[in-house]
Amino acid sequence: MEQLVQNLVLGLLLGGVYALAAGGLTLIFGVMRVINIAHGAFLILAAFITYSLWSGLGIDPLLAIVITTPVIFVVGWVTYKLFVAPIRTAPMASTVLLTFGLALVLEAVMGTIWGNNSTAIRPAYGNESFIVGDLFLPKAQVYGGLVAVLVLAVLWVVLTKTWLGRAIRASAVNPAGAELVGIKIGSVAALVFAIGIAAAGAGGAITGILYPFVPGAHYQWIARLLAIVVLGGMGSLNGAVLGAVLFGVAETMTAAYVSPSWATAVPYAIVFAVLLIRPQGLLGSRLREDAVPA
Amino acid sequence: MNAAASAAPAPAAASSRWTSPLWIGRAVAALGAALLLLYPVLSDDAYYQNMVILSLVFAVGASGLNVITGFAGYVSLGQGAFIGLGGYTIGVLATRFPDTNPWLWVPVAGVVAALVALVLGFVSLRSRGPSFVIITVAFLFLVQVVAVNWVSLTNGTAGLTLPLPTWDREIINWPFYYALVVILALQLLMTWWIRRTKFGMGLIAIREDETKAATIGIALPTEKILAFVASTVFVGMAGAVYGYYLTFIDPRGMFSILISVQIVLSLLIGGKATLWGPVVGAFLIEPLNEIANNNLGGGNTRLFLFGGLLVLVVIFLPRGLLPAIESFLERRRTRGKAGLVGQRIGTGGSLASLTDRVQVVDRSQIPDRPLLEVTGLTKHFGGLKAVDDCSFTVPEGSITGLIGPNGSGKTTVFNLLTDTIRADSGTIVFDGKRLDGTPPWKRAHAGLGRTFQITRLFGEMTVLENVVAVQRSFSVGQLGRIAVSGKEAAAAEELLEFVGMRAFRDQRAHALSYGQQKLVELAQILMLDPKLVLLDEPAGGINPVLIERMGEMIRELNSYGKTFLIVEHNMPFVLGLCDPINVLARGRTMATGTPDEIQRDPAVIDAYLGDDFRVEPAKPRKAVS
Repeated sequence: MEQLVQNLVLGLLLGGVYALAAGGLTLIFGVMRVINIAHGAFLILAAFITYSLWSGLGIDPLLAIVITTPVIFVVGWVTYKLFVAPIRTAPMASTVLLTFGLALVLEAVMGTIWGNNSTAIRPAYGNESFIVGDLFLPKAQVYGGLVAVLVLAVLWVVLTKTWLGRAIRASAVNPAGAELVGIKIGSVAALVFAIGIAAAGAGGAITGILYPFVPGAHYQWIARLLAIVVLGGMGSLNGAVLGAVLFGVAETMTAAYVSPSWATAVPYAIVFAVLLIRPQGLLGSRLREDAVPA
Repeated sequence: MNAAASAAPAPAAASSRWTSPLWIGRAVAALGAALLLLYPVLSDDAYYQNMVILSLVFAVGASGLNVITGFAGYVSLGQGAFIGLGGYTIGVLATRFPDTNPWLWVPVAGVVAALVALVLGFVSLRSRGPSFVIITVAFLFLVQVVAVNWVSLTNGTAGLTLPLPTWDREIINWPFYYALVVILALQLLMTWWIRRTKFGMGLIAIREDETKAATIGIALPTEKILAFVASTVFVGMAGAVYGYYLTFIDPRGMFSILISVQIVLSLLIGGKATLWGPVVGAFLIEPLNEIANNNLGGGNTRLFLFGGLLVLVVIFLPRGLLPAIESFLERRRTRGKAGLVGQRIGTGGSLASLTDRVQVVDRSQIPDRPLLEVTGLTKHFGGLKAVDDCSFTVPEGSITGLIGPNGSGKTTVFNLLTDTIRADSGTIVFDGKRLDGTPPWKRAHAGLGRTFQITRLFGEMTVLENVVAVQRSFSVGQLGRIAVSGKEAAAAEELLEFVGMRAFRDQRAHALSYGQQKLVELAQILMLDPKLVLLDEPAGGINPVLIERMGEMIRELNSYGKTFLIVEHNMPFVLGLCDPINVLARGRTMATGTPDEIQRDPAVIDAYLGDDFRVEPAKPRKAVS
């Protein structure tokens, strides 16, 4: 029983980190209709930057998020302006291929700078655990999960309580209308892309502490994040959080009770099943599509 | 030779023919095919033979991908996984049954790939949108995990070693080489055939405008899933030959993500939705891949190369090489000649004089019954009641009008009738059958044809293709019917002649003016041979002469027994044409009657002008009427 509770708690903590990264992905999709295949690559990039800050400058990896996230934000903004903006109005198929290309380039860049060997961030508390009753909760995972929830909360406040958040949501619902009331769609899109990428960056900085990583790990990440977003419903932030938590728990449970090697595969089976029964995902909605034949 | 001889008396025509992209393309293709067939005989350089063999594998992969991505517009990033599946099919079967000839497993691999595609398609292609591309990414990753972990079947990371080829070492590569050439030929034949059939037209229509495609009878999920299956079957076979050629298969090699990248890149660079583009692309990219691998250090260089090329192609060469070259040649060839787009619209003739498929019906023979009976139709968008408990009937053989102020729900009613939007509740009885709850294409098959207020033709298709894309019913036989020539095309041309647009048959629809598009859309709907034609503002935004012609055509079609339901704001047009007229206000029918009754109904005038409308605020409402 304790074992089950422990796995559940670990799954929830992991889900928090997934939610952060998947939230960025679903935000970008919701506002721009862009499926950012490079999302996992930005996540791994953040992990490498965190690694350098920790190993080079001795900064605590969880504190380093304060540096990593803004850096990745800028990288995301520049990426948008250079590559995504020129094909902003192209069909979704084009942006999928573009971001796929970007992912490969990023992988190559990381491989060139940091090498293709497995890299791990091991802070002093890496091997310590909190002991609550009969539960052993690794400190890194607890801190990581809490930081993820904190960043996610900030993101949520920005989206729902600020003018920027309203502008973003307006752009998502009706780009032409948003433009008419004075919102600069291009600027909002750049900001959203950068915020989405930064969320992935924050998630990457945290997972870098939890697991070792290589540049090529971004494929696994994008597959996982896309699965989460589909599960929750494309473009729905709440859906992404729900999907992430379910995914995190499912992965942890599979690793504990089935076999660690299948842990990466089983959650996809869940996603397939969800799509069979409910193609729009758990919290997704079918959009009204008669008004603007985009 | 024949062509040259017959062209001799007309040198001008001949020169333009030989410089036309079509003939240049054919000559290049013939030359390429000859070279490809003779190559192993001419050279036994193993390095280049290997390169050509790999190019062939990628050419099949890219050409297959072309069906789902180029035609139907659904990007798959998991195409490489089907090569891997093919390889593993032959690997597993050949090691299990060492006494059977491994070549036997090549077609089996095609079937396995097709079955997997069927399942994936069923999961992700029933809805539209991004699920498909996402599922393909997940699949690419998942299949590698399965190959690693299902050790009893795949021998895990240790891989499988196939029986070595038994034939003469001198010609060791020949069987692989020619098997791949045959598979590529079959793949290209299939692509060529699909492009000419109703099936292919349907796929391109889906790419251009999926919502609209559904309303002209295209059964979306079925066609998309079929396209995905078609795009993988030969790829699975090529994968099997590839696996046998390598004689060793493991998860990292067979399910490498870079295989998928290379396939996608080949298709993009060569040109989507073209026959030869994917082949050209594959033969360009594979040598680059070899150079990057052997001379530039592989690994990260290959990633830079592929990733960078992908980004550059998407931004700077979105249509691919072949279409770019083709439009360049076409521009040179037609320089100085007037375009067709400004040509006058034909005056048309009566449809009965163009075809014997229609004849004037005797009015007294038309049964006195409603063809369409709508009861309690309701649709809410959040708190907005767009259509609220709306009921009306359309008598058979009538031209019924549907009018109402802006925002009264007319277009939404049309959308609900054709299931472009799903109604919240209400029943739709058409021709004695319940239609509510059925998808748009079934309604089109039942005899419901609908035009859009803002015309929705398939922009990249020609006028003729737009008309022949229509599917009157669903059957496998019909999907395979050749659409671009023969009976279908002849019927489409009659309708185009009727609306006066025949001269434009080979123009792309996006090049037409709004009025011209309206006429083509009418011809397109008539191709459905509908019992009831729903016209959304047929007279909106076109000149008075054309409005008059539109009215004539509607009356003529009505005399052949076609029933109409027309939404229109042009009151003289509606009052002169329609009887009865239904008036919609706030999402429900508020009045029904003859034009005279409607014109005199104070409630109707009130609804149009608003109950706070007064010439002067102090005047009583009566003054208005």
